[in-house]
Amino acid sequence: MSDTNPERAGGATGVDPRALAQTIVFSGVTVVRDGRTALDRVSIGFEEARIGIVGLNGSGKSTLLKCIIGLVKPSAGSVSVDGRDAVGEARAIRRATGFLFQDPDNQIVFPVVGEDLGFGLKNHGYSRAETADRVEAALTRLAIRHLASRRIHELSGGEKQLVALAGVLALAPKTVLFDEPTAHLDLKNRNRLRDVLQALPEQAIVVSHDLELVADFPRVVMIEAGRIVRDGPADEVLDHYREANR
Amino acid sequence: MIASLARPGSSPLHRLAAAPKLAGLAITATALFFVDDPRLLATAFALGLTVARSTGAHFAEIGRDLAGAAMALAVLGLADWLLVDGATALAVVLRLGAIALLAHAVTMTTTTAELFEVLERLFGPAERLGLIDAGRAALTLTLAIRFVPLIVEEAQAIREAQAARGLDGSVLALAVPLLVRVIVRSEAVADAIDARGFPPERAATAPPRPPAIRPEIEADTP
Ligand SMILES: Nc1ncnc2c1ncn2[C@@H]1O[C@H](COP(=O)(O)OP(=O)(O)OP(=O)(O)O)[C@@H](O)[C@H]1O
Ligand SMILES: [Mg+2]
Repeated sequence: MSDTNPERAGGATGVDPRALAQTIVFSGVTVVRDGRTALDRVSIGFEEARIGIVGLNGSGKSTLLKCIIGLVKPSAGSVSVDGRDAVGEARAIRRATGFLFQDPDNQIVFPVVGEDLGFGLKNHGYSRAETADRVEAALTRLAIRHLASRRIHELSGGEKQLVALAGVLALAPKTVLFDEPTAHLDLKNRNRLRDVLQALPEQAIVVSHDLELVADFPRVVMIEAGRIVRDGPADEVLDHYREANR
Repeated sequence: MIASLARPGSSPLHRLAAAPKLAGLAITATALFFVDDPRLLATAFALGLTVARSTGAHFAEIGRDLAGAAMALAVLGLADWLLVDGATALAVVLRLGAIALLAHAVTMTTTTAELFEVLERLFGPAERLGLIDAGRAALTLTLAIRFVPLIVEEAQAIREAQAARGLDGSVLALAVPLLVRVIVRSEAVADAIDARGFPPERAATAPPRPPAIRPEIEADTP
């Protein structure tokens, strides 16, 4: 199903994602948003290098991801990342845990690519010199150095998504949370993002309606109405998901 | 002018720090309002042209960037001419024209990141008085610059969709969905900004050393 091509995917980075993986633990997490239960007593742990999350619209996938970095606060229960509380120690968690949103336009703050990459670094207290180095390295890493002085509103959707990802990677996170990263992308850019994702040494938790994107993951979790209903290897869980939603 | 952001270059103005440029612009603009002599104003206008040109921008580019401002200025000048007199109209046009040219030169040579820092410092005293949060205020202005083109695009998309439904011309049909989209987007943007570590941590807490940057992923340029 997944045409893993190690050469194209740059699989030779020689970094074992497990070396970076954090342990994320949900203990009895319930989230009520506007009177509706978005997550319902979720208890689950994540420590694999690749975890996929699937589920229908409104099932609670984005809410789950947002809980990890404290953007959404549980109404009951708690979330911890490497032992840190997601609400109380959100800042420390956000430094080690990047978030790639579905629409890169919402994530990009400055009007020029290079400036935008500096934003996250500045927030986390990096010096000017170090910021410049890291911006350069992150752009190089995704092979988009030629975009450094381009204006955001002149970029294609695929380029914007890579710029947003570069902004995340510039901080050298241990984990990157992806919320439907390919939803706005055409086939070519979607494949490019898939390749980048495959080569990523960081731990990745990927929410996606694009099932192929997570099809070779060792672990996929299925959410239904705020509850975890399946948890296992990709083929098993995806088969069930397809079957259940015929 | 907002859409015409900084262009890279190495002119003297490019090399000058943002703060003196902005201060110079503010002082000159204020001073020009106390000048009425058309010869002085004409000199200021010529100076504005020279400065704008010194950034490496061609007259054609400057003209394109300032077309909107020029149009507004023409209307203003015409109104002054009809309602007051020719001399006043000339003074108004030269004065505002000079300011627009100087502002263009500053915009062309100052990145938004530089502007952000100046604004942060500018808002500093107000922050110390407990009036505002300087970082947030600067961010708000930066976001305005960033999102103007996006909101214009969204407005266009809505207008097209409405036109397809025969609703063109209705202000409400444009304003309501646009407002909804802007609100939805602003929530998403707020989340993303939090996720990116804003507000900055205080300088005292140095970041830990993250692992070294890893090797480049093979280039696959489209
Ligand atoms: N900002 C919000 N305020 C109030 N309720 C919200 C908000 N965002 C989501 N919800 C609600 O929380 C529930 C879960 O939403 P969530 O966005 O987590 O779903 P999702 O699985 O990510 O869906 P999708 O596939 O459409 O992105 C839904 O019932 C939704 O209406
Ligand atoms: Mg979602």
